[in-house]
Amino acid sequence: MRRYNHCHEEKVMKVKVRFFARFKELLGTDIVVDAATGIALNGLIRDIAAKNSEGYDEIFDENGTFKDFVILMRNGKRIDSTDAPQTKIEDGDEIAVFPPVAGG
Amino acid sequence: MIAIQKEDVDVGKLIDAAKQLGTGAFVIFDGIVRDDDIVEMELEAYHDVALKELKRIAEEAKKIHNLLSVDIIHRIGRLAVGENILIIVVGAGHRAEAFDGCRFIIEAIKAGVPIWKKELRKNGGRWVPGEHQHGAGKI
Repeated sequence: MRRYNHCHEEKVMKVKVRFFARFKELLGTDIVVDAATGIALNGLIRDIAAKNSEGYDEIFDENGTFKDFVILMRNGKRIDSTDAPQTKIEDGDEIAVFPPVAGG
Repeated sequence: MIAIQKEDVDVGKLIDAAKQLGTGAFVIFDGIVRDDDIVEMELEAYHDVALKELKRIAEEAKKIHNLLSVDIIHRIGRLAVGENILIIVVGAGHRAEAFDGCRFIIEAIKAGVPIWKKELRKNGGRWVPGEHQHGAGKI
């Protein structure tokens, strides 16, 4: 069987992911990852959270969907978590994932 | 002064610095670590985003409530019982504006500024649950 060499290499992007509060305790923070071009926000976070099952379960439900209370930001702007599957990550993005805020 | 910092602040100096022609009232909010059987409180912030949000809230409060000055200092790090967590100093021409403006600011901070606090007890810690917000939903 003949194999064809792909002429192109998949491009890789540098993305920074920041978890806060109890998510940070479970998953760490300021994680710089090489992300594949075209990856969506939910896929990126799922891959990172998968390293710690407790952390994963804090953020995702049994269907791999963000739990309702999880808040997402991309470069300091809120992203509706239901839009995460359609939100494509770009090179240099800073993604933040955190539980409801409790300042004051 | 709008800041997120570890250090405490001198409220009297903030008031003195904020006095200007037309000021008729200051309202101060001082949120402190309550003795809820805890040893310490630990606070963390998404610093850049939280600071930008505090500045936005201050400007919005000035416009809506006709305020002359707003200072907000939110502390982070480990704080003991009785220490200041959040100081808001609002100056206005009249008391009604100052009270309303200060209330507006504290409620806006609680609703959306990315800061979290953890109660540290002898037998472990507990993140204080947020009162507001939802990850799914347009804002």
